[in-house]
Amino acid sequence: MSDPSSINGGTAVAMVGKDCIAIASDLRLGNQSLGLANNFEKVFQFGDKTFMALTGLASDVITLKETFRLKNNLYNLREEREIEPQTLANLVSSTLYEKRFGPYFIGPIVAGLDSKTSKPFICGFDLIGCIDFAKDFIVSGTATDQLYGMCESLYEPNLEPEDLFETISQALLNAVDRDALSGWGAVVYIVTKDKVVKRTLRTRQD
Amino acid sequence: MDIILGIRVQEGTIIAASKAATRGISILKDTDDKTRILNTHNLVAFTGESGDTVHFTEYIQANIQLHTMRENDLELSPSAVASFVRNQLATSLRSRKPYQVNVLLAGYDVKTNTPTLNWIDYLGTQTELPYGAHGYAAFYCSSLLDRHYRTDMNIDEGLKLLDDCLEELERRMPIDFKGCYIKVVDKDGVRDITK
Amino acid sequence: MNSIAQKYTHTNNNRILNEITSARDGLASTHQLELAPSIQLPPISQPTDFLRAHTDDATNPDCKIKIAHGTTTLAFRFQGGIIVAVDSRATQGNWIASQTVKKVIEINPFLLGTMAGGAADCQYWETWLGTQCRLHELREKERISVAAASKILGNLVYEYKGMGLSMGTMVCGYTKKEGPTIYYVDSDGTRLKGDLFCVGSGQTFAYGVLDSEYKWDLTIEEALYLGKRSILAATHRDAYSGGSVNLFHVAEEGWVFHGNHNVGDIFYDIKEKEKSFNNVDG
Repeated sequence: MSDPSSINGGTAVAMVGKDCIAIASDLRLGNQSLGLANNFEKVFQFGDKTFMALTGLASDVITLKETFRLKNNLYNLREEREIEPQTLANLVSSTLYEKRFGPYFIGPIVAGLDSKTSKPFICGFDLIGCIDFAKDFIVSGTATDQLYGMCESLYEPNLEPEDLFETISQALLNAVDRDALSGWGAVVYIVTKDKVVKRTLRTRQD
Repeated sequence: MDIILGIRVQEGTIIAASKAATRGISILKDTDDKTRILNTHNLVAFTGESGDTVHFTEYIQANIQLHTMRENDLELSPSAVASFVRNQLATSLRSRKPYQVNVLLAGYDVKTNTPTLNWIDYLGTQTELPYGAHGYAAFYCSSLLDRHYRTDMNIDEGLKLLDDCLEELERRMPIDFKGCYIKVVDKDGVRDITK
Repeated sequence: MNSIAQKYTHTNNNRILNEITSARDGLASTHQLELAPSIQLPPISQPTDFLRAHTDDATNPDCKIKIAHGTTTLAFRFQGGIIVAVDSRATQGNWIASQTVKKVIEINPFLLGTMAGGAADCQYWETWLGTQCRLHELREKERISVAAASKILGNLVYEYKGMGLSMGTMVCGYTKKEGPTIYYVDSDGTRLKGDLFCVGSGQTFAYGVLDSEYKWDLTIEEALYLGKRSILAATHRDAYSGGSVNLFHVAEEGWVFHGNHNVGDIFYDIKEKEKSFNNVDG
């Protein structure tokens, strides 16, 4: 088990609803079988309604979180506006491909609402930057298989924010309960046109 | 296997580091100090590949002291020290010969009057914890600390808890680690309180 | 299709092969007369290497057959008898295969066996141990001692040493002449009598809590709680332990089951009552 992307464990998921998106992750940081911390959020905010989740090797999650914070700040200064989800997706893609022959061991997700049209946008990536555009949901992390199962069965299009919250929460919770390296708490962001709501979920602690 | 343990309490952070320096089947030294003072309110404790450990921490120490001199005795905060150390390890990880060093950083932020304990491994994984350990010690002490740690503990209670941890390690670990150096970082800086 | 296949293969035409096959069938059929199953070996030169190549996760992470692993089990002696506590998670790699495994095997009303390592190995051989214990009773008109029962298991696993059996078990029981007794038996062939054992991937976490609060003079109530609490500590920190806690108390009248406690239900109750687990919010 020296696969870099499953040393620390962790899982994230994003979903599209009716004029809204949801993005969620678990909170576990582990070192193989040993649980270290239960406050390791994997969802980061860039601008008002643009979010990114990073799973995989925790060291690279931190490195990339900081890299994108830098790039986003420079973007804000240069453009005097906030980054769009689309733009961030392309930024992530090109940043990852720069390390084509010595990649970061991560699985990013970008999700958000377009600042002008408020159109939902979500996408996922492989570790070297191939973008996976999706209309419904994106999953990532050590509980990927379980999440696909949950999302394929629970997801339906055009859910209202409250229902989307319920769907993404149930999908994540039940997926991480079948993964030894994920869990230890979870966090969900629901993003609508006029507000962002963050909820922390109380979960099993084993 | 070296032991590095840290507990954060109300007024400061306590660090324990084993005294044995082991190479192969021999204990070469039983008074080995696996800690270095970085600045007045930051202490690093380390384990890992022999050679790498001391070299890396002394490199960190020198750079942080250089920073203090250049910035007119303005010292790096615990979170800044942690970011610096993490960044060095994360960069080193993708070099030709990565440092194999795991550290605990005990710090006291004089601006906010908060003690901190930072856990960083050779991969560059960093996390701020109330208590933590590297190596096998974590497997015995995590559960014990989960049970007995309280957020409102003072230094004396923290030291008592640390003794319970070391007692457990002496009982269950298959090798003699020759006891521990115990150090405290609080508002007055770093002090050695080894019995 | 079948006729073509028969025409071009020589299964029935090879005299020597026929002889070997019939001899083997003969042997197999006499085996069938005994109701007890026999352990078959794959017809290859090095069965142990073959098994290891396909099941040993540590040496070959890509191996296709993942044997259920990961456990925390404990048993300790005290003034009021023995406490046995175990978790209930089975993992295959990082996949949680089950959260409801029974890891205490009730060998008979006076004997318990715990299960760590290969789930099938433990289940099979401890059930087998139950039959051996019953045969002993019928032959000797006397209940088997814990020492003898554990030695039967110890000798059995030693016969298979090096062939890939994986088990770490505690045989716990109460007899008139021995009193409450625990034997640790593992697939290396180690057999130890003792007062307190934790076995499995979460053993260290269980030891951490157990050692810090263990006394000989514990009341039954306190001892049951300590057993439950130690397993809970392990389920929290060890990724490969979890599910629920199964609790048993062994005394003169035999063992008594003290419930299945789901970690999801008891964790926050215990956290609040003890003011412990301060690393966890909520």
